[in-house]
Amino acid sequence: MAKAWNWGKKWGTSGNRSWGMGGTGVALLLPMLVADSAAALPEASSPPARPLKMGVVTPLSGTYAGIGQQVRWGLELAAREINAKGGISGRRIELVFEDEEANPTVAAQKAERLFQVAGVDFLTGTVNSGSTLAVAQVAERNDRLAATTVSFSDAITGDRCSPNMFRVNARASQQSAVLAEWLAKKMPQARVFALGPDYEMGRNTVASFKAAVQQRGVEPVGEIFAPLDSKDYSPYLGRIRAMRPNVFYTSVAGNDTVRLVSQLEEYGLLKSLTMIGASGTVTSQNLGAIGKAATGFVTGVGYSPELDTPENKQFVAAFREAFHAAPDLYGADSYGFLYFYKAAVARASSTDTAKLRTAMQGLSWMTPQGQKTMRAGDHQAIQDMYVVQVDDGRFKVVSRVPGEAAIGPDSCSRW
Amino acid sequence: MLDYMQLVLAPQMLNALSIAVPTILVALGLTITFGLLDVINMAHGELYALGAFLALSASRLGLGFWTLLPLIPLVMMPIGWFAERWLVQRVFSRPDRKTLTLLLTLGLSLVLEDVFKLLYGPNPHRPELPLRGGVELLGVFLPSYRLFLIAAGTGVIAAVWIIARHTRLGAIIRAVAWDSQMAAALGVPVERVTAGAFAFGVMLAGLAGVLLGPIYSVFPTMGQDFILTSFAVVIVGGMGSIPGTIVAGLLLTQMQSIATLYIPPAWSDPLVFALLILVLLVRPQGLFGRIGHA
Repeated sequence: MAKAWNWGKKWGTSGNRSWGMGGTGVALLLPMLVADSAAALPEASSPPARPLKMGVVTPLSGTYAGIGQQVRWGLELAAREINAKGGISGRRIELVFEDEEANPTVAAQKAERLFQVAGVDFLTGTVNSGSTLAVAQVAERNDRLAATTVSFSDAITGDRCSPNMFRVNARASQQSAVLAEWLAKKMPQARVFALGPDYEMGRNTVASFKAAVQQRGVEPVGEIFAPLDSKDYSPYLGRIRAMRPNVFYTSVAGNDTVRLVSQLEEYGLLKSLTMIGASGTVTSQNLGAIGKAATGFVTGVGYSPELDTPENKQFVAAFREAFHAAPDLYGADSYGFLYFYKAAVARASSTDTAKLRTAMQGLSWMTPQGQKTMRAGDHQAIQDMYVVQVDDGRFKVVSRVPGEAAIGPDSCSRW
Repeated sequence: MLDYMQLVLAPQMLNALSIAVPTILVALGLTITFGLLDVINMAHGELYALGAFLALSASRLGLGFWTLLPLIPLVMMPIGWFAERWLVQRVFSRPDRKTLTLLLTLGLSLVLEDVFKLLYGPNPHRPELPLRGGVELLGVFLPSYRLFLIAAGTGVIAAVWIIARHTRLGAIIRAVAWDSQMAAALGVPVERVTAGAFAFGVMLAGLAGVLLGPIYSVFPTMGQDFILTSFAVVIVGGMGSIPGTIVAGLLLTQMQSIATLYIPPAWSDPLVFALLILVLLVRPQGLFGRIGHA
C-alpha cells in the first residue's frame, strides 16, 4: 500500500491524506493514463519546423487488436520512409496512438482527447465501422479532417457521409461486387447462407452481398447475425444445416473467424461448403490459427501480398524486414494512406482544413496496389479490386476488376 | 412433434450440455472462492486464459494434449496458492476488504491480459483438436471431442461434489466457511484451508482453459468469454453453493441454446441478464443459498 501512496503523491493529486481504496484504484489505473499521455508529449529535440501530428485511434486490445497492429505497422513504415526523405514539406510526421478497443464510445472519447489535448493535425486508424462514424462527428466538431483505412460499412461514404471523413480502403459494396461477380459465374446455382457479426459492419456487408448476388440471379437461402466475440457458433449450426447450403458467406473477423471456421470443421460442415467472405475475414493475422481449414476461402478484396507489381514487391519486402510478418490489406491501406496525406498537403501547400479537403477531393496517388483516386463526391477511394483465394497459406490472386467497374454509384448527398 | 424433438430440440440441448460443462467448471472455481473467502475473483477469466496459454506453451515444448491435461491444472494450483497468500491475504484483515479484493483481482486481471498480449501477441492461436470425427447419438451428430468434454467435465464436477459432501476434507472446508473462528478454535489451519480452496478454484479455471483451447482458440482477451455467464451462474445458483452452480449452469445454458431457435442471437445475453435481475429481485441468495449456509 505504501507504494501506491507514493505514486499518487508524485502525480500531484494533493489534498487527500488517506489513500486506502481510492488510492489503490488510482494507482492501478495511473500507469495506463501515464502511458497514454507520454505518447502525446512532443519530442525533446527542436526541429526547424513543428512536426505534423497524426492521431491514430485504433484497437490496441480486444478482438480486433491484430487489425490494429497491422494499421500501426503500415503507418509506422510509411512515416519512417517519409521522414527519412525529409518529411512532408520539411515537417516530420509524428504518430500519436490511442486505443479504441473496437468500441465507438471509446473511440469518440479518445479522438476528442487527441484533437483537444494533443492538438493533432489529422486523425486516422479507426477499425470498427461504428467508431469511424462516431469519429467523423468528432472531427466535424473540431474542424479537422479524419480518414479510415479499414472500416467497411458503406454508410461511411454513403448515406452517413461526412465532409470531414475520407476512406482510402475498399468498402463493402466494392468487395461484394467483385465477389458476387465471381460467384455468379462459377456457381450460378449456389445456395448461399450468410453469417455476419451483429453490428454496423456485419449487417452492412451481408446486406451488400445479398443485394449483389440477387442482382446476378443467385438467391440466398438464409442469414444469421451472431454477436461480436461469440465464442460458440454451434447453437446456430442446426439452423444452417437445415438450409442445406453449399456456399457459406461470412464477414466475421479476427478471433471470431478462427472460432467459426474451426467449429464448422468440428461439426463436419466445412467439407460440403465453399467458404467465401468479406475482405477482412481471413488475413495474415488469423490465417495461422485457422490453418488448413482456410484453404479454398475466396474473397473480394483490394489487396493481396501476392500482387505482382514492383511497388507491392518493394512494400512487402520492406514490411517483412521491419516487422517479420506479411502485410495484409489493413497494413497496405494504412501505409498507402500516409502517402495520400503527403500528396494532399503538397497539393494544398497547407494543412488548413478547408484547403486540405479541396486538395484531397479528386486526388490520385500511388500505392502498393497501384493507383487510387479519391472520389470528390463521397470521399471514397476508387481502386482496382481482386478476387483472392487462400491456397496453401497464401493469398492467390484469381481475377481482377478495374476500379471504375467496382466502385458503384455515389450515394452521398451532403455536399 | 417427435420429429421436432429429435431433429431440432435434441441437438440444441445436447450442444447446450457441451457448453454447460465448461461453464460449470469455470463457475465452480468462482463460487468456491466466493463462498469460502468472500472474495469476488475478477481475475477468474484471466486465470482460465492462463491455463490455456500454459497449455499452448507446453504443447510447443512437445508435450501431447493428454500429458498436459492433468499437468497444467497441477501447475495452476501453486499459482493459486501463492496468489491467495501474497495478494489476497495482504488485504484480508482490513474492514473494507471486500472492495479491496475486488479492486486487487480487477487489477490482476488487467495486468494478466496485457502480459498475455506482450508474450504471445494479439493474434489467436488454435491448439490441435486431440479427438477428430464425431458420433451419432440418438440421431444427433456430436463431435467426439465435445462428447469427451461432457464426460470428463461431468467426472470432475462429480469429484468436486463428492469431496465437498462426503469427505472429511469437504467437511473441514464447509466448517471454515460456516464459522472460521470456531473452526480455528477446533484446531483447523484456517489460513491453509482458505489458500488451498482458492488454489483449487484456480485449478478448475485452468482446467477449463486447457479443455476449451482446441474449440474456442487461445488469445489474450479470452478471459472475457466467460465473465458474464460464470458470474450469472454463480449468482443465480447461490454464491458459494456447489449444487446451485451445477443447476444454474445447466439451466442458463439450456435456456440460451433453446432461445436461439426463436429469438435473434443478440438477445441471448440480455436474456441471461433478465434472469439474473429476476433472481436478484425475488430470491437474492440464489436458488440454493450459500455453502454451509444452505
